[in-house]
Amino acid sequence: MSDAYIVSAVRTPVARAFKGGFRNFRPDDLLAHALKAALAEVPELDPARVEDVIVGCAMPEAEQGMNVARIGLLLAGMPDNVPGVTVNRFCSSGLQTIAMAADRIRLGEADVMIAAGTETMTMVPMMGHKVAMNPRAFSDENVAIAYGMGITAEKVASEWNVSREDQDQFAYRSHQKAAAAIDAGEFTEIRPVTVTSRVPDPRTGQVREVQTVVDTDEGPRRDTTPEALGKLRTVFDAKGTVTAGTSSQMSDGAGALILVSERVLKELNLKPLAVFRGFSVAGVRPEVMGIGPIEAIPKVCKQTGIGTADLDWIELNEAFAAQALAVMRTVELDPDKVNPLGGAIALGHPLGATGAILAAKLIHGLQRRQQRYGMVTMCIGTGMGAAGIFERL
Amino acid sequence: MTDQKLRVRRAAVLGSGVMGAQIAAHLTAAGIPVDLYDLPSDDKNRSKIAAGGIQNLLKLKPAPLGNKDLAQFITARNFDDDLEQLAHCDFIIEAIVERMDIKKGLYEKIGPHIHDDAFFVTNTSGLSITELAGVVPEALQSRFCGVHFFNPPRYMHLVELIPHDGTDPAVLDLLEEFLTRNLGKGVVRCRDTANFIANRVGVFTMWSTMHHAQRLGLGFDTVDALTGPAIGRPKSATFRLADVVGLDTMANVIKTMDAKLADDPWHHLFKAPEWLSKLVEAGALGQKAGAGVFRKEGRDIKVFDPETGEYRTTDYSVRDEVKAILAIKDPGEKLAELAKCEYPETEFLWAIHRDLFHYCAHHLAAIAESAREIDLAMRWGYGWKLGPFEQWQAAGWRKVACLIEDDVESGKAEVDVVLPKWVGDIEGVHGPGGSYSGATNEVSPRPDLDVYQRQYQPVRLLGEASHDGQTVHETDAIRLWTLHDDVLIASLKTKMGVIENGVVDGLNAALDKAEAEFDGLVIWQPQGPFSAGANLKAAAEAIQRGDYDSVRTLVAGFQDVNLRLRYAAVPSVAAVRGLALGGGLELAMHASRRVAHLESYMGLVEAGVGLLPGGGGLATLAMQINADTAAGDTYPLLEKRYKQVAMGQVAGSALEAKEMGYLRPEDLVVMHEHELLHAAHGVVRALTAAGYRPDLAGRTIPAAGDVGVATLKMLLVNMLEGHFISEHDFEIGSRIATVICGGQIDRGTPVNEDWLHHLEREHFLELCALPKTQERIAHMLKTGKPLRN
Repeated sequence: MSDAYIVSAVRTPVARAFKGGFRNFRPDDLLAHALKAALAEVPELDPARVEDVIVGCAMPEAEQGMNVARIGLLLAGMPDNVPGVTVNRFCSSGLQTIAMAADRIRLGEADVMIAAGTETMTMVPMMGHKVAMNPRAFSDENVAIAYGMGITAEKVASEWNVSREDQDQFAYRSHQKAAAAIDAGEFTEIRPVTVTSRVPDPRTGQVREVQTVVDTDEGPRRDTTPEALGKLRTVFDAKGTVTAGTSSQMSDGAGALILVSERVLKELNLKPLAVFRGFSVAGVRPEVMGIGPIEAIPKVCKQTGIGTADLDWIELNEAFAAQALAVMRTVELDPDKVNPLGGAIALGHPLGATGAILAAKLIHGLQRRQQRYGMVTMCIGTGMGAAGIFERL
Repeated sequence: MTDQKLRVRRAAVLGSGVMGAQIAAHLTAAGIPVDLYDLPSDDKNRSKIAAGGIQNLLKLKPAPLGNKDLAQFITARNFDDDLEQLAHCDFIIEAIVERMDIKKGLYEKIGPHIHDDAFFVTNTSGLSITELAGVVPEALQSRFCGVHFFNPPRYMHLVELIPHDGTDPAVLDLLEEFLTRNLGKGVVRCRDTANFIANRVGVFTMWSTMHHAQRLGLGFDTVDALTGPAIGRPKSATFRLADVVGLDTMANVIKTMDAKLADDPWHHLFKAPEWLSKLVEAGALGQKAGAGVFRKEGRDIKVFDPETGEYRTTDYSVRDEVKAILAIKDPGEKLAELAKCEYPETEFLWAIHRDLFHYCAHHLAAIAESAREIDLAMRWGYGWKLGPFEQWQAAGWRKVACLIEDDVESGKAEVDVVLPKWVGDIEGVHGPGGSYSGATNEVSPRPDLDVYQRQYQPVRLLGEASHDGQTVHETDAIRLWTLHDDVLIASLKTKMGVIENGVVDGLNAALDKAEAEFDGLVIWQPQGPFSAGANLKAAAEAIQRGDYDSVRTLVAGFQDVNLRLRYAAVPSVAAVRGLALGGGLELAMHASRRVAHLESYMGLVEAGVGLLPGGGGLATLAMQINADTAAGDTYPLLEKRYKQVAMGQVAGSALEAKEMGYLRPEDLVVMHEHELLHAAHGVVRALTAAGYRPDLAGRTIPAAGDVGVATLKMLLVNMLEGHFISEHDFEIGSRIATVICGGQIDRGTPVNEDWLHHLEREHFLELCALPKTQERIAHMLKTGKPLRN
């Protein structure tokens, strides 16, 4: 069995939804940008050799519907022979695609694969444009299907005893780490996006084109303090502990990775960044979906034989501070190794793109710090967790 | 200029402070885009100061904007860069700082930019219009006068109109019509005397009240207990009003009065008391500073005690003997009892009334055309139930005059000026022919401007003649009448227009008569709100008896009469002002059209008492949602409308009611409440002229069905889990969802009004039987507030 080698891992900056730099920038265009940027990293590779482009998206409809993978790759100028498929496992979609791409290579079915993710929460809301709940959610024991994510975070906070103060402190740290990382230029995986907006100019009667370059994650708040976070009102539960400040931000962004077989690696003399070691996903009670990684992490560790103590860097998606802390405490993750550059509370969480974005962030981080093992893990709506392990080469 | 009409296509407000910005906001509600000017700023945005004034409108309470969306029709401008824009404005009102030199500078600067037919007015409350006219460029002088709004301008009915000698009388007439018809205000013409009318009398009343309170050693809390609703004035009474106005402003006003009214016999009262100066020095400026006469301490409100210089716990109790006197129905008897001065409180109350009457009589000839202007100014500008002269006349003109004269003779009165001679020559100031004019010594009739022909039943002062129309049919619950024409008017006689069996019977009778003999039907209340909803008390009594059949009869009867209204052969118009809640709104929703005063507050609020709209309200919403989303997904609008009902939201204006769908696009918003009936008649005539046909009955719509219910319940279950709603809220919310979605049936199944009404009735009755709903009803009846159980 061949290993799956990652030879390119890039992402767009993550912009704030609704008011940010990508508010008028489509998810298929974001994807095209990420694909082009990923291919530009390996000019030796003929794009026509890509066996398949697998793209994660959590709400694949409207601007990101109609198989956004195929549309995005065509917009990126990739050859007609390259196919594309869109995959949805909510927040782990962008990690799921890496696992699926790696599998094709490991099975020997493919030599070159692209795994990616794209999402704009500006254009497609959290539950999609047309919400239509199954009436049986209320007649069976399945009412948790109808729960919003915030309620599940509250339930995790109370069942795992995560205090408001700990959540606020965690969120504060996330912003501090992210701001420091930006200042230190640590996000080397970002490929800036030039956004052109067109606005009417009533004075001239012309349409004015304004170009802006989005090159930095927009989410971090440098000036926030634990006191400021402590003053926020809870939004999901009047008597709860979870606030907007301890929840992940709504964001727009995309990421893409190129995976190749050992054969292609040698043939083109490519420098591998990392090898994909393994992936697992597990189901949990939907009403406490945030604890999904508690099941997924031991599972992938057992599968790969790489224990949590062996991990140098863990990208744990901060859907909520409550669930992140519950996971870290239960699986006994070293807090110093979790999200050293900040997490989704500061940097944002463009749902289906997050897996690819975190993988790119992790792989570049391992390279810069010359560390070996890293993990990307996240919880998933309606009660699942996913985890994938990467080894730097 | 006489045959010119004042058509304000665009207006400018100069000065973006709280008053200027709020006037701009009200102009937008009247459909007039506004340029709001202020000083230029050093910022990149040169009109930043005016932009800040616009921003502030979104935060102020009560809301100055009829609808938040209207803020976009106010353009921020500055006096340096944008003066050319003034040429596009037909009505320009200045509301900058009250300084003669600054106003003069501004007038000179803007003068050349104002177009030849524009009206230029000032909102000054402190400066003389004549003096200001002296610095107005000559070309503008005939079109210049004072137009004095009261704060908050959207809600205060009064506008004082003050000419100078050079103002063209035709300009005043056009402005009066504009302010009345277009802005909905009550115009009172004033002379150019200090503080004009309302503030002259109102501020005098406050100082005289403070003076007598101090003299008799009454606490500020006691004074407020005695000078609020107990004597027909607003709850803010005296000292809370001072806190709202601002103690610094009060101190400034008194300084102006001291300087300007040196000849006023009451001049000695126009000195700020020591305690006031102390509070101002200490920064206790009133409401805006968080402390003034009153101070909020945690949950308690404490009152300043001038004796100790400290704040103490408030005590609003009034001794029983005084309460008994205040409860006397006959105003003459009451005043006579007060004049006996048996207690400090009664001595105080007599003294402030005596001084008020004395002051108004003494100054009438100088400050007002007639007694009418003073009484209307106090009703509209200060919220008094009756003006000073009305109170006097109600208590017996001669009798009260004697009491005052006695006090003057015995030296008890505040000043030793005898009452003017005319007081003894007349039997009262207001009569069928008009009101007494101190200046001409004649009865002055109401102004005969065209705009007042639109007010079929304007505010009538005590003693004035009223025009009641011709009664066709009358019961305890309803009066059916006409203005001697082909339109039948139904007026509910129940308290707050509540709907009960008698009203349903009356509406059926109205429809019988209207279809047989008239062109159409208008539902309109001469006084008070359109309708506060169904009569809860009657329903609660029936529920308590276990008499659900009579509840069913009431609900079914109300549904039926509403359907009759919708499908009658003649058009119907609901003329709404004030509250239209619950069943009251459902009634209005079934008329062919609605005309609504801007200040209409509509909502289906039944959930607050544990019920749901059972008079066809939900059925109507379901049909409207379908009609309004013909080309697309119904769910987003369904969710919006559902939330309105489940959360009992009430529109803050008629414009908001349009957004909520309670008023339809074809319905009309009327700015002046007394023009409602005129507008409603016009709509009936227009519908008749177009050969009125009702909507076709029996229309079917595809139901949102079980998927709709489940999707709405998803919202509820998250609120329930999040402790934002109670189990009973969830129960009520689930039933509202079920009815508005046409039941737990296959999505898309055709349903009609009959089916929706059946669901309304059944769920209404099932909710009635739940103990928690009964608790909510009982609590509402007892406290007037909703219970969250």
